[in-house]
Amino acid sequence: MSVQELIMSLQRFWADQGCYLAQPYDLEVGAGTMTPDTFFRVLDKRPWKVAYVQPSRRPTDGRFGENPHRVQKHFQYQVIIKPSLADIQDIYLECLSALGISLRDHDLRFDEDNWESPTVGAWGVGWQVLLDGLEITQFTYFQQAGGVDLFPVPVEITYGLERLEMFLEGKEDIYDLKWSEDVSYRDLRFVEEKEFSAYNFDLADINMLRRSFNMNLKEGQRLIDKNALLPAYDVCLKCSHLFNLLDSRGAISVTERVKMIAQIRALVIQIAQKYVAREA
Amino acid sequence: MEFLLEVNTEEMPGSHIKAALEQLALKIEEGLVSENVHVSRLLTYGTCRRLVVTGSFAPEQEDRVEDVTGPPKAVAYDADGKPTAAAIGFAKKHGIELESLVVLKTERGEYAGARKIIKGRPTREILENLIPQAILSLSFPKMMRWGENQLRFSRPIKNILCLCGEKTVNFSVGQVTSCDWTQGHKIFFPEKISPKGLSEYKKSLAGLSVIVDPDQRKKIIRRQIGKKLSPLEAKILPDDELLEKLIYDVESPYVFLGQFPGEYLKLPIEVLSTAMREGQNLFSVIKGKKQLSYFIGVADTPKDAKGLIRQGNERVLRARLEDARFFWQQDLRIRFSRRYDDLDRIVYQEKLGSYHDKTQRLKKICSYLAGKMDAKLKKKQAMEAAELSKIDLLTDMVREFPSLQGRMGGLYAKEEGIPFQVWKAVYEHYQPTSLEDAVPSTVNGAVLSIADKLDSIVGAMGVGVEVSGSKDPFGLRRNAQGICKIIIDKKLDFSLGRLLDKTLKVYGEIFDGSKALIKKQCLDFFRGRLQHIYEHQGYRYDFVNAALAPGIDNIYHTYLRLKALDGLKESAQFEPMILIAKRVNNILKDQPMYRVNSELLYEKQERELHTTFSIIMDNVQAMIARGEFAKAQRMVFRIKSSVNSFFDHVLVMAEDKRLKQNRLALLQSISKLLTQIADYSQIVLD
Repeated sequence: MSVQELIMSLQRFWADQGCYLAQPYDLEVGAGTMTPDTFFRVLDKRPWKVAYVQPSRRPTDGRFGENPHRVQKHFQYQVIIKPSLADIQDIYLECLSALGISLRDHDLRFDEDNWESPTVGAWGVGWQVLLDGLEITQFTYFQQAGGVDLFPVPVEITYGLERLEMFLEGKEDIYDLKWSEDVSYRDLRFVEEKEFSAYNFDLADINMLRRSFNMNLKEGQRLIDKNALLPAYDVCLKCSHLFNLLDSRGAISVTERVKMIAQIRALVIQIAQKYVAREA
Repeated sequence: MEFLLEVNTEEMPGSHIKAALEQLALKIEEGLVSENVHVSRLLTYGTCRRLVVTGSFAPEQEDRVEDVTGPPKAVAYDADGKPTAAAIGFAKKHGIELESLVVLKTERGEYAGARKIIKGRPTREILENLIPQAILSLSFPKMMRWGENQLRFSRPIKNILCLCGEKTVNFSVGQVTSCDWTQGHKIFFPEKISPKGLSEYKKSLAGLSVIVDPDQRKKIIRRQIGKKLSPLEAKILPDDELLEKLIYDVESPYVFLGQFPGEYLKLPIEVLSTAMREGQNLFSVIKGKKQLSYFIGVADTPKDAKGLIRQGNERVLRARLEDARFFWQQDLRIRFSRRYDDLDRIVYQEKLGSYHDKTQRLKKICSYLAGKMDAKLKKKQAMEAAELSKIDLLTDMVREFPSLQGRMGGLYAKEEGIPFQVWKAVYEHYQPTSLEDAVPSTVNGAVLSIADKLDSIVGAMGVGVEVSGSKDPFGLRRNAQGICKIIIDKKLDFSLGRLLDKTLKVYGEIFDGSKALIKKQCLDFFRGRLQHIYEHQGYRYDFVNAALAPGIDNIYHTYLRLKALDGLKESAQFEPMILIAKRVNNILKDQPMYRVNSELLYEKQERELHTTFSIIMDNVQAMIARGEFAKAQRMVFRIKSSVNSFFDHVLVMAEDKRLKQNRLALLQSISKLLTQIADYSQIVLD
């Protein structure tokens, strides 16, 4: 099964569960959790079921294409179901079977792993799902986002597509994966990893990033004051990515790190509160 | 009647389960006892998916006798002893047969009344209220909500089986209604079973690949590990924390032996075992002290027929070890000791400066403390170790595996050819991390560890960090306990007060509060920690207080005093001596201090006491200074008969003021000597 077949299987499976299939968000994000299809939709009281692929960027994980399983951009498959279903674990197991994994031949474990993102004021309780020791999924019951207690409680299932595909293909090098029958992961991503690693670690202009961070921070507050919540949130995502780039450039001290995260979080919390008030 | 409760959940963290089972059993027992239901054989079992409590309960509450009092006897019966109209009215009102009226004796006198026997309610009825309350009252280190449930628990509750006798106890918790069935292993045997009692429950589940008894799983895991490793004549690197976690993580333990390429054995065992344990929960395999290129894993499955579990884990581990090797090689590219100046990039604490600043302080504190150690220590080595101690925070390896801090620094220093006495001190300077952990093996390591921890405590106290209840953001309690444990285990004899003075001096003038105040806060904090440690070790709290009363400046001496005191409790001298100490103390209460004037010693018994005291005093002072408290204590107790005959024959509170004051002064000197060993008056006698 190639990566694209894996994606198609997941789309089919979760569409059958009643999920709306969203398209990837068009901004740089660190994880599928950060996109509006998750962030805003978990805040209100309405039921919500969504599934989508989200390219996710973590600049510090870049390895110039030299590490067989670390990359500065990877693909997540994100599922949100609100309220969480009583049999959601069983559905998840069914999904793995639907991907052709014979669970009776393997060791599947739900290993305690509580997720937290200080930048967007969010945390949840759950597990990393280990398949023969390989982390293939992050499974989380969201408890808070934007500093707001979430109720009904959403469940988030995030598959690491490359990890899962490495398991399915039995490969040890990410670049050897098949995206389709004819195109390999290396064909698609190797040059990108090399160039972006250089950009993340060496080339990005620190002064420009800092100025940009501060400008966006201001813009975010301005938009919040005008109740333009969705645009304001986009600006927060930009800040978050700029912060990540500065971090990978080694330009952030420990104290500065705490301060910058707090600055972004302060905006996100205002957005979440205004959104909740508006939707109530 | 047999009782069986199983709360079935999604996978709870191993660390939550033991405590939850204890709480649950306790709530049930207390609830039943308060309802007068007899309880026996309360047992618990559990896995990450099940909390199980079983027991044997009386089928109903004990019957209760209740008295209904009516009119006073004089009003209720006439002169012939026949019931009056008042008695008849009372009986009618309460539906009591006239013949059942009796005379009840109460505190207020005799009354007509009736003794009613209230039949006990069936236990099942009581359980219907009690069990859901008990489940909902459980607290976990971290709790969550799910779906549209308002309740909070460790992880979502899926199903609750609850039987009393063979019948279901009916109740609901959130959206889950109790029932008489459960399920086997989630993946292998998810079929439902309806057991009739505990033995059938355990047996049926075992048939469905679930061993509910954690002790049994532990035995199975141990035995299987032994079996897998005996051909290699090897053992696992002991890791109780991991073993405890795995015991609860799996319902169907299956041990597998895997291998990794021998080339990775060039990595230190610390790195290998950390890479295996963190993330993958694997044990390292050793033969003697040598690590082998094998690992042990515990899977939740009846079998690994195709070897896929082993192969999968091997593949993941190879990738992780490759990563670790990359970090190791990256870090070795730069000469470790040369990175010292880069430490100014890492902030230790906003007001306390960078790790570079911290290291500068550690060098000075180490130099002072090394000078206090009796061994012919080279201050230079301790200072060198201090300088190298925090550099590993800059390495890729520690960034990836923070739990390797300290040990990694030691290993990188060793690679660079730094002498043993120095790199070993760096290696072990975070030890001990708990009261159970070993203290540094070398004196330099102990010195560096104490300096590092004390610098943290003084700095945090100086900038006003508060420690209370569950609040201890900088782990100051652990640090202080670590210092105490090192001092006691390594028999270090020095003044904590002077070390605090030195540390405060090294910090300079950066704190708002006065140094004297910060020093006092630190000493109070240490006193609290010593109390905790000694009580944790099982010493009586009154002994601890008595032994700490003379002061905690010399921490090792507090331990010696406590041991001396504890050794005394079996002796025949113990009680009489404590009584004397208490008597002396009582008579001295609220008295100002006086001076003994030997001219004023009139009575034979007071002269005798004075002489005995002077002789004892001369001998004991030197013993106390040497820390020979047991010996000193024995010597001091020889004063007993003199004190007794003093009290028997001499009136302390004499009319002549000068005599009175002189006698009080004599007792005050004795009390002062005693309290150099312990405040015996704090001991509680039965």
